[in-house]
Amino acid sequence: MTEHPTITRRRLLALFGAVPVLAACGSSVGGGSGGTSGGAKAIKVGLVVPQSGVYAALGTDMQRGWDLWLEQNGGKFGDYTVTTVVADEGETPQTGVPAVQKVLQSDGVDVVVGIVNSATALGVADTLKESKKLLIVTNAGAGALTGKARTPYIWRTSFTNAQVSAAMGAHLAQSGFKDGVFAIAPDYAAGAEVIAGFTKAFEAGGGKVVGTAKPAFGKTSDYQPFLTQIQQSGAKATFCFFSGSEAITFVKQYQQFGLAGTIPLYGSGFLTEGSVLKQQADAALGVQTTLHYTDQLDNPANKAFVAAYQAKYQASPSTFSVQTADAANVLNRALKTATALDGDALAAALGGVGAVDDSPRGSWTFDGQTPRQTMYLRKVENVNGTLVNAVVQDLGQQSQPR
Amino acid sequence: MTAVASPAVPGGTAARPPRLTCGRGALISVVVLVVLAAAPLFLAPFATTTLTRVLVFALFAVSLDLLVGVTGLPSLGHAGYLGAGAYAAGWVSINVTAEAPVPLLVGAAVGALAAALTGWVTVRSAGVFFLMLTLAIGETLQQVADSWESVTGGANGLTGVPLVRLAGTPLANVGYTYWYVLAVGALGFALVAVLVRSPWGAALRGIRDNEPRMRALGYPTSLYKYVVFVVAGGVAGIAGSLLVAQQRLVTPADLGFLTSSFALLAVVIGGAGSLWGACLGAALVIVIRDALGPSLDGHGTLVLGVVFVLVVYLLPRGAAGLRPRRRRENA
Amino acid sequence: MLVSILNGFAIGFLLFILAVGLSLVFGMMDVLNLAHGALFLGGAYLGAQFAGDGWGGFLGALGIAAVAGLAAGGVLSLMTEPLRRRSHLDQALLTLGVALVVAELLIIVFGDDPLAVPAPPGLDGSVAVFGATYPAYRLVLIGFGAVLALVVHLVVDRTRVGALVRATVADREMVAALGVDNRLVKAGVFAVGSLLATTAGVLGGPVYGARPGLDSTILILALVVVVIGGLGSVRGALVGALIIGQVDTLGRVLLPDLASFILFAALAVVLVVRPQGLFGTAVAR
Repeated sequence: MTEHPTITRRRLLALFGAVPVLAACGSSVGGGSGGTSGGAKAIKVGLVVPQSGVYAALGTDMQRGWDLWLEQNGGKFGDYTVTTVVADEGETPQTGVPAVQKVLQSDGVDVVVGIVNSATALGVADTLKESKKLLIVTNAGAGALTGKARTPYIWRTSFTNAQVSAAMGAHLAQSGFKDGVFAIAPDYAAGAEVIAGFTKAFEAGGGKVVGTAKPAFGKTSDYQPFLTQIQQSGAKATFCFFSGSEAITFVKQYQQFGLAGTIPLYGSGFLTEGSVLKQQADAALGVQTTLHYTDQLDNPANKAFVAAYQAKYQASPSTFSVQTADAANVLNRALKTATALDGDALAAALGGVGAVDDSPRGSWTFDGQTPRQTMYLRKVENVNGTLVNAVVQDLGQQSQPR
Repeated sequence: MTAVASPAVPGGTAARPPRLTCGRGALISVVVLVVLAAAPLFLAPFATTTLTRVLVFALFAVSLDLLVGVTGLPSLGHAGYLGAGAYAAGWVSINVTAEAPVPLLVGAAVGALAAALTGWVTVRSAGVFFLMLTLAIGETLQQVADSWESVTGGANGLTGVPLVRLAGTPLANVGYTYWYVLAVGALGFALVAVLVRSPWGAALRGIRDNEPRMRALGYPTSLYKYVVFVVAGGVAGIAGSLLVAQQRLVTPADLGFLTSSFALLAVVIGGAGSLWGACLGAALVIVIRDALGPSLDGHGTLVLGVVFVLVVYLLPRGAAGLRPRRRRENA
Repeated sequence: MLVSILNGFAIGFLLFILAVGLSLVFGMMDVLNLAHGALFLGGAYLGAQFAGDGWGGFLGALGIAAVAGLAAGGVLSLMTEPLRRRSHLDQALLTLGVALVVAELLIIVFGDDPLAVPAPPGLDGSVAVFGATYPAYRLVLIGFGAVLALVVHLVVDRTRVGALVRATVADREMVAALGVDNRLVKAGVFAVGSLLATTAGVLGGPVYGARPGLDSTILILALVVVVIGGLGSVRGALVGALIIGQVDTLGRVLLPDLASFILFAALAVVLVVRPQGLFGTAVAR
């Protein structure tokens, strides 16, 4: 770039880039967007969880898990005082992506925690990469996040869609349903991942999928056509994945149309997790699912966690609470060795965290950037008038399927 | 909307383009542009990002105003063409090139193409039927985005869209992206404004006010409506390419019924037919939805709903109607 | 297959109860009431609220929903009154704004969580039909829908009030010229139409549940029904609803991959071939 009379576009941009140096602070143009919360040891965390929309109940559980961990640990990660900025993820990336941008650009947080919707998590990957900030995903289960579309700045304390369903695939192949399972999940990305993970593991165990169905996502309120299909397929069992209102409707209609008595229902754990279980009521009795947590787990860490959670919120924790509490847990561990608060330093420190042995879900480790954790087979039972996901079997430690 | 519903107007008045006092209008435009161009130098990044969203939505609202305000075709599915342009621009950026005019032109072309493919059905209807037909088309386009996973990424949306590049340099900064959006948005606005002031635009207003009369005068009104539908789709496609340049992803929600109805709200707030008004309306909608919404517990929609109701009652001609009129009212 | 057809009737009759009100309001008053879906959702939440209390709760919810529907219709009628000289668009936008407000208020009152609505005692079980198990409540829904369709048909076709309604659909100005107070007719039809929407919400609860977002799903279904059947026609609403009921259930069985598109394809075909709908008259514009 020697002196030249012609103005190239590149030079023009450089010129614009130079102007704000003269202008006062608070400019949007120029170098990295500050965010140096130096001085005394402090860390600012952006907790981006749904406060509105269909996932609002998950957001409540997540925030409670986060708050409870901090309260129990004096509001500190090691020497760092923690400030939490909460932002509403909403339902879709339309609201979720701006929320993440807001905490990064406007509040200047060091780390982002949360995110229910996979599309939102995938949608903020570039923003994080460019600002070199770390995101710990505490729900979104898209395999690509820590697989095909991996960036060093996105870590996860939750699960992957296929990890949960593969556990059920392997289990059903071993428990006498080899000759016929019908698989059904909504027609969207997570549904496809769940079915793919299930089918791969089930077939690897010698099982045969006799039919699949993909009801339109978010637009199906009546499952009768699919239930008829299941009955006609001659399946010995049904494997399904639904969440939220669809989980309620599907489980209830599965019983109303008389399938519950003849073709046992299995599913990914989210089918009966959290607030949906109460709405499904007795229709959910006997449904078996796989997941990496249930509040019924019998270990000291979980017993203490459940007791403290119930005392504070008069409600039982869900897997969403644990996933977010564990984000605080691993950040606490990472900050013992981290040299700085930027994404690169934190990612390096997270890589050396080792076994998280005091988690309510049981001990787990990072495999890559996502948990290798114990999967549990759970069954909906009525314990003293309350429906719970009782532990049936420990299916062993499992990683994100490749 | 139909001839029977609106009072007949003398064809001469309807066909005359509105006079703009050229000097003052141009001066105001220049001042507004300069202020907008200087904004990112003084604003924090998040405010700039919000302003970028406002500009994108403003161009989208302007394209809708071309249908609703100028031609009298109230569409509830216009977000479908915004989305078509956004997906196309995003796909090209990922798979071919993100070099500046390319995503833009592809977005415009695909938006126009989508409008051309669906427009022949819609322009045959009028009034409430047009409203419902466009609603159905918008829903169908959203369904396509949801299910054509290999291209659109399905419900997860199209992610990993690279930054727009100008002469090989990526616009790696919210301020640069803002200027790109501002430049293209201003060009798009100017294009629509010129069209509206042309004899062609006058004919469109004639169709809005009294279609049978225009037909009797020898205007091929169906052709006019078809062309304006395609043009509006193309401009919406440009807005879509800006959308993807700004948020770096497209999801089926961007094509939804809510996006369409908020754009319609922006047009109505501003006063149907007033392009400047549509931009102001868009600013209000985005500020309430994106900046105010999160601090209202996610109930920004409630505020927008109330605004909807109030505008219909209090501002029958939108914000543009607040301005004293020199010209005889004709709509 | 036979169960699917039967189920298509259950959904169809539910849609009829919902759509006939929308159709009459538009046909008579030229008001496209986009708040119709929100009224349905209001009814569904009422049902969810009282569902735990057995038959008393169910009937109580129906009663409250009916009164609330009448009142809401009256209010909507008053609200659109100042706009009667303005375009369809303004009235549609007003009701769209009302729909957004009502839906958000319902979320504030009842929360974001989706709610399940159990059928009243005795009907929450299943019975054997065509050798398959079928929820008893839906059979009752079919019967109720059929009776209601007959009642609405008789009222509109055989009574003086019905004659007035039909006359107003055909030629509003003429009816006004005969000395009938248009506003009263309008308020009446609006109130009854809204009553049908909230009632359909309570009745539909055990099928669809109650959740945020259900209002727009339902509104779009109702619009499709009304457009296919023809605006302002009771028979049209019935036939349209039964067609959409079948399309929505049989379509998913026979053409699973295209199911999401069939609904709108049907709508587009009808609008192109017969823009006034199957039973509509071109007058109602």
